[in-house]
Amino acid sequence: MWFFRSPEVVFGADALSYLSSLDIKKAVIVTDRFLKQSKVMDKVLMSIPKEVKTMVVADINPEPTFAEMSASLSKIIDFSPDWFIAVGGGSAIDTAKVLFAIYERPDISVYDITPLVNLNLRRKSRLAAIPTTSGTGSECSWAAVVSEEEGRKVELASKEIMPDIAILDPSLVVDLPREQSRNTAVDAITHAIEAYTSTWRNHYSDAFAEKALELILPNLPKVLHEPSDMDAREQIHVGASMAGLSFSNSQIGLAHAMGHALGAVFKLPHGLCVGLFLPSVVELNNDSAADRYSRLNRIFPDRYREKELHSTLRNYFAEIGQPLNVKQAGIDVQRYMSSIDGLVDLASESTGVTTNARDANSEDIRRIFMHVV
Amino acid sequence: MLITKKRLSQLMVKFPSPEWVEEYAKKLNENQTYKDAAKTWEGDIMFVVEKDESFPKNSYIYLDLYHGECRKAMYSDSLENLPKAAFTYRGPYSNWRKLIDKQIDPIQGILTGKFKLEGSMMKIMRYTKAAKEMVNTATLVQTEF
Repeated sequence: MWFFRSPEVVFGADALSYLSSLDIKKAVIVTDRFLKQSKVMDKVLMSIPKEVKTMVVADINPEPTFAEMSASLSKIIDFSPDWFIAVGGGSAIDTAKVLFAIYERPDISVYDITPLVNLNLRRKSRLAAIPTTSGTGSECSWAAVVSEEEGRKVELASKEIMPDIAILDPSLVVDLPREQSRNTAVDAITHAIEAYTSTWRNHYSDAFAEKALELILPNLPKVLHEPSDMDAREQIHVGASMAGLSFSNSQIGLAHAMGHALGAVFKLPHGLCVGLFLPSVVELNNDSAADRYSRLNRIFPDRYREKELHSTLRNYFAEIGQPLNVKQAGIDVQRYMSSIDGLVDLASESTGVTTNARDANSEDIRRIFMHVV
Repeated sequence: MLITKKRLSQLMVKFPSPEWVEEYAKKLNENQTYKDAAKTWEGDIMFVVEKDESFPKNSYIYLDLYHGECRKAMYSDSLENLPKAAFTYRGPYSNWRKLIDKQIDPIQGILTGKFKLEGSMMKIMRYTKAAKEMVNTATLVQTEF
């Protein structure tokens, strides 16, 4: 027995207008400080009917801690919203998920947001997510990442924090800077590949992973070359969301476990971190998932394809500018080397290790950390 | 060396039983992957095998686990005979059987309602690899149901 869970997904041109059809009385709009005064936020606010009372929470930093996430909680409780609307990338959407859960259940700890606890949310409010990046898949996932002060990323997950509605409007990502377009899309590619070989994989997650790669792989180089290519933008946007549905209904793997550890210690973009390890993880897993990797390898455009998926990935990443080693990622090699013990410990605690295609012990993880030096 | 059917049955231990628990603890302490995954774990756990149509009584397995080592393993038909544990993992006998036969993943087992877990979720979510290895170890015990 297993499940497939998804929000209601609204996608395509003008998808944002769907907001006006919702029965909203009071909405908390959770976004990051960079979007607060932006065309994107103007568009969102214009899509919400005038009679709806809104409160904007825009103090979200990238990779926020729980203290940062919950800074506005008492004001939110006083405001008593019936909707949370997340607008932004993974950090803003994850923050909205956590605020939504804690607003609904002030008696629980953030650490209770696990698949093992029935939270009984949605007694007061609902949650919509509007991504302004194409990659995290958070708008369609049951996961949220919270950073801890001491440099660990905690992976929260619960079916109950999956948004009720995901709105994928491509006009919101057309101005996404090149580097962010690449980093977030690499995250989505990693979601799809890890979900497809996760030990929890299933027919539904397989279908979404394959389609996600079909949509993203040929279009990412186009967008990096011509950022205003709306058709390519839209396909990546939908593909990233499908990759989110895929991993949310199966699981992530070792590249995410290691990427979370690296990102927590070196404060680097999440997509860059997971992409740094993905080719080496695929190489490690190859004997356990050869047929599956072979199927995915065939989805890559011909000009990148090698016999093995890990080599194909390296070709593809090299072309789009995704770093393949720590130096290319701008990491100080000496500091990296002196951090490896801690990185191995952090990565070993991630659930991604448990559901990786191949059992990986701490020595395997250490080897991969060394492999990208 | 070929093992005859008769010899195999002599090697097998009944689940749940004191002999099974003893054999399980031995295998767990031999499992280097578990030792690695649980090297910072501190806490005891109670496995509760609940009665169902295939098994007539509740049974309890207490494990004192510390830094990748099983320091104590006890079996009882009564909870009163065992120390109180920080974590409890419980489910009906038939589901335990499927777990040991690797037909159920230990975490998916909770998500699908086949097992229940009590204890600090924050702590246990950092040790899912160790939990998986505990189940893998159970599959190494020559088990008779």
